[in-house]
Parts: sequence; C-alpha cells; structure tokens
Amino acid sequence: MLKRATMCLFVISLLLGMSLGVYAQDINLTLWHIHTNVGAAQNTIQDAIRRFETDYPNVKIEEVQIINDEYKTKLMIAMGANDEPDIFMSWGGGPLETYISAGKVWDMTDALVEEGIYDNFLPVALDLGSVGDRVYGVPITNMVAALVFYRTDIFENLNLDIPTTYTELLEVMAVLNDNNITPFALANANKWTGSMYYMYLADRIGGPEAFYKAMMRTDGGSFASEAFIKAGEYLQELVKNNAFPRGFQSMDEDLAQSRNLLYTDRAAMYLMGSWAWGTIKAENESLLEKLDFFVFPGVDGGLGDPSNLVGTPGDNYFSVAQKCEHKEYAIKFLGYLSDENAVEMLIANGHIPPFGEDIGSKIDDPMMKKLYQAVSGSDAVQLWYDQSLPPELAQVHLDTTQALFGLEMTPEEAAQTMEEAARRYHGEN
Amino acid sequence: MKGLDHLPWYRRPGVTISLFLAPALFFFALYVLAPIPVSFYYSLFRWDGIGERVFIGFQNWRELTQDPIFWRALKNNVTLVVISILVQLPMGIALALLLTSRFRWRKLLKTIYVLPYLMSAVAIGMLWRYIYEPTFGLLNMFLEAIGRSNWILDWLGDPKVVLYSVINAINWQFIPFYMLLFMAALVGIPDELYEAAKIDGASAWKVFWTITLPLLWPTVTNAAILSLVGSLKYFDLIHVLSGGGPSHASELMATYMYKRSFQHFRMGYGSTVAVALFTIGFVLSMVFLRATRCREYEGGGKR
Repeated sequence: MLKRATMCLFVISLLLGMSLGVYAQDINLTLWHIHTNVGAAQNTIQDAIRRFETDYPNVKIEEVQIINDEYKTKLMIAMGANDEPDIFMSWGGGPLETYISAGKVWDMTDALVEEGIYDNFLPVALDLGSVGDRVYGVPITNMVAALVFYRTDIFENLNLDIPTTYTELLEVMAVLNDNNITPFALANANKWTGSMYYMYLADRIGGPEAFYKAMMRTDGGSFASEAFIKAGEYLQELVKNNAFPRGFQSMDEDLAQSRNLLYTDRAAMYLMGSWAWGTIKAENESLLEKLDFFVFPGVDGGLGDPSNLVGTPGDNYFSVAQKCEHKEYAIKFLGYLSDENAVEMLIANGHIPPFGEDIGSKIDDPMMKKLYQAVSGSDAVQLWYDQSLPPELAQVHLDTTQALFGLEMTPEEAAQTMEEAARRYHGEN
Repeated sequence: MKGLDHLPWYRRPGVTISLFLAPALFFFALYVLAPIPVSFYYSLFRWDGIGERVFIGFQNWRELTQDPIFWRALKNNVTLVVISILVQLPMGIALALLLTSRFRWRKLLKTIYVLPYLMSAVAIGMLWRYIYEPTFGLLNMFLEAIGRSNWILDWLGDPKVVLYSVINAINWQFIPFYMLLFMAALVGIPDELYEAAKIDGASAWKVFWTITLPLLWPTVTNAAILSLVGSLKYFDLIHVLSGGGPSHASELMATYMYKRSFQHFRMGYGSTVAVALFTIGFVLSMVFLRATRCREYEGGGKR
C-alpha cells in the first residue's frame, strides 16, 4: 500500500514538475540565415540578437547558420516537412513567391506599420519582398550591384586603363595574360558567379527589355532571342581568350577560391556583388588600398545602357513563417535588425543598408561613398536572373550558363534549352 | 520440431524470432520498403515539394527516357562500377596479402592504410578538393615542383577528367574496407595447405593462384556484389567533391535524383529518377547474384 502511495506521489510530482517546466520555459524563435563567415551581415545579425535578448530576456533567438549553396535546399525541405524556422532569410523574388503561394509566409504588412518600422525600409528594396502591396519579407543586409573590382597596382604597373567597352576589355585581358596574370578571378562551381557575366553581356547587348520580355513571356520575348545567343557567344570568346583561371569551373566561391587568386597577385579583376567589399575587408583588409571598381563595360552597338547594373536592392530578405507562434516577438526582432544600430554596424563593415534615413550622409569612407553612389545612382538595376525566375527555370539558366563556360554547349543550344524549359514551365506546348 | 510442442505458443522459435525481428523489421518497412511504392506514386505528379501536386500520368517517365543527363549519369555509374571492381578488389587483395605476411612495419602500415575508411565522406571530399585545387592544390603544386607542369590537369574542372579524379578518391576511400575483408578471409585459410605447398616446392605465384585465390573466391564474389550495389547508389563523395559537375560530367543517378528533387524542386521527376535507380540496381544485383550463385554451386559440386 505504502509502495503504491509513494508511486502516486512520484507520478504527481513528476507531472507537476513538467508543467512547471513548461511555464518557466522561454520563448524560442529559430532564425536561419547563410552568413557562416565573419563579416558585415553576421556581425549585424548577432549584434541585433544580443540587443534583442537583453531587452526581452524571456525570448531566445536560436540562430542557425547554413552555408549558402545548401541553404535553399534545407529551407525548402524544412517547409515541405512543415518544420520551417520562425524567421528565415531568402533573396526575395521568385523563390520567396514559391513559399508565399504555398501559404508558408506571414503577411507582415500591418504588423510592420503598427510597430512603426514599415518606413525604415527603402521602397524600391521593399518591392522585391512584396506581392502587390503586401509585404512578406523585409530587406536586411545590403544594397548590391555586381561590379568589377580590380587591383589598381597591377593596372598601374602595366599601364592599363579601365576598359569601357568589350573590345577594350579584350585588350586589357591580352596584356594581363602576357604578364601571366589571370584577368578575372572566377570560381564557377557555384554557377551564380558565372551567371553575372552572362547577365551583364545580355543586358549590354539586348537591354533590360530582352530579359524582361522573355521572363514575362510578352511581346514575343524569348530566351532563344538574338541577345541571349550573342551573350553566349561573347561569353565563350572571353573563355577562349583565357579570361578565367585554370580550373575555374570546379572552384568554390564559398571557399574563397576566387579571392585567393586576387590576394596572391595571380588575378587582376573580380566581378562580384558589392558585398565583396565587406568580405575582403573582413578577410584581407590591407588589400582594400589596392582595390577599386568599375562598372561592367558596354558592348559596341548594343542596346543596353552601359551604366545599367545587375544586382539586388536588398540582398537578404527576412520573413516570418505563417506557423510561427510568437509573431509579435518576431516582428520586434525585425525592428532590431533594421534600426539605427544596424545601419551603423552594416556601414562600418562595408555594407550599404537598404533601410534607415539618409544613408549617403552616414557613410564617411570615400570608397564606400563611391560604392553607394554607384549602387543607388543607376536607373536600371536588373535583379539576378536566378532570383527573378521561378526556382526550376533559375536552375536551367545556371546549368546552361555553366555549360557555356565549359564550351560544352553552343550559344544556340544553351539559349534553345532555356527557352524550351520556359515554354514547358509556362505550359506553352 | 516435435520436441518443441510442449512449449507454450509464445516460446516457440518462430514467434521468438519474429518478436526479436519486429523492431528492425518495422523500421526497415517504414524507411526502406514503404518509400518504394510511394516514390513511384509521386513520380506520376508534377510537384515542387510544398505546393499542390498535379497528376500528369507517365509524363515524367517519358521525359526520363529522353533525358540525356540521366543516360549520362547511368553511363557514369557503370564506369564507376567497373573501375571500382577492377581496382578496389585487386588492390584490397594485394594490401591484405602484404599485411598478413610478416615484416617489421606491418602494424604501423595497417593503421595507416585503414585511416581513409575511418574518415567521413565529407572530410574526404574536402581533403581531395584541396589536393585537386587547380592553383594551390597539393597535386598541381607537386607536379610543378618536380618540373612536370605539362602533366598538370584541371582535375575537377575538365569534364573529360573529373569523373576519373572523383573515382580515384572513391577508390582511396574504399580500398581499406576490402583490405580488411580480405585480411579476415586470409586468416581463415589453414596453414597446412601452405606448408604442403612449400614441401612440394611450389612458387609463391603458384601458391597464390592455386591456394589463396580459390579459397578467397567466395569473399571476392561477396565483395564484388557489395561494390556493385555501393557504386550504383553512390552519392556522398561526388556530392562534396564535384557536385556532379561541371555540366553533369561526373553526375551519378543518385546525385541527379538529389539535384532534381532538392535543388530544382521537381519532386515528381526526382522520384522518377529514384525509382529508375532502384529498378536498375535491383535488376543488376539479382542478375549478378544469380550468376555468382551458379558458380558457387558448381564449385560445391566438384568438391
């Protein structure tokens, strides 16, 4: 009898203890992002977490860093399994819309207004995280354009001028190659890195309209049109003229295999998103003195304005999952990610925040100012193809472009493959 | 069986065996058997993994038969099977023979040779990635240092080379496993046979062909089946080392399935590839098993 009583007591105390545990438990918010390396974004996010957790001691933000190329896969699988993180990062555009149409993302428009942080964000940047006028993701990290960073000392030593046309670029490349310097540091295992060259060439040749029409399937737009075939031809001409380092198709941007060539004086130019400035600052700050940038050269007779840029107005967009149980805290945290502290933190680490007032006047560093002017001054910024397109087509673009770099497809074949995939996707045949 | 009749039903051997098997069987059914029909079911849909599933009949299967990348992947798989069996098994036997003979550094060498098998595939992938690195990599730097710059290749970037570079790393990973397998089998060969051969004055070569290899043969066929199945469904090192690239030059069926499902988000088509991979692997293993079983039987008959 006594035995049974102790047993009962034990069970009761166990149950009590468990329920008490539940009451005392903190609120947990999971946050997924890609910033596995120390740098502007990681510093800013972690700083925001620290400040937020100090102000709300009952809330814990569980930060999970996942390397870039694995991230999209992990996020999609988590969503498929209804196990998505409370707060997650995307690049806006096509992929974010896939999540939205599956009902996975919280429409945070009203909450943003209530919290008074809606106006933090630049409207042009907010657009990419919105469908119509409803906001599903807020731009957090950087206003980005792909720019050609180059080693000023190498250019000076070899008496090279900044190329403004494609023909001049070929001349610069020839001189560099004669001096055993690889013209462009490119690591193309990631594919999106090489895509930048293709996007710029297509823009310079056919103007932004070529891509827009092909993507929207209007006005007879086609991925097999002249502009895309020509872009492929120019691209392969660059490859054949040794624009890229030995083995670039297998090199990994995430492992800094491209920048290593820049750091060791083996390469002179580096076409990369302007986040590279912050990355290099974190990796090899002394190199910044010998680094400048120019906008990708124009193509003679092309329709595109050579001042057009390819990039993204916000880079990383942070969204809150529909199934998040503590949206009121999640939205507050987004406020911490986009407040004045975050602005300072990003600028200090070489990023241009897509939020905050009067950013231009807060930047002191002359090179950063120049970056800001380049990024914010252009009329037409083409969003990365792989973020504009639905994920399935984005992959076809990336695959065909990598095949172009490897000279394994002719420009016609690549363009045709892309167009066929687009037709299939849109159910046109 | 009669002697067991006095036992209560729950202590009969059949019941006991089933009971002990049940937990493993349950998970086997849940994670191995059930997904096969489910994957086939998914292969009839167009589905991005989180959105709506659209039934499209056998469209994915029609696409698969015309998909050049899938055929390339299959061809790569066959290459991997052939090279794996032709390199890993003989190397495994050779190393096992070396390490079972008596000499001074035997224990040390054994430890060293087993090391690759103890490392995780990701670590091996990263290791070989740095060995093959085009500019700063160990291999190319070594070739440069010995004045053989003309031997330098773009190990992972050249579509003609990449498959062999990766297979080389895979061999490196798996040879120790076969070495251990053969070492265990070698220990089981009775010493008397060798002594008798010695008395008869047989050469070492002759001893190998008439004693060691015939007695190792059952292990060799088992190893070959392991290698066949392993190579057909191989995934990890390729995924880490080359990602199947560039331009699918080192794509295998498993990496292709992964790409279609989890990078292109075409779960339906990915399932189609998965079911095709399963069918091909199943049929080939069955054929191989049949063929080797006949042989074993013949051998038994002669004895």
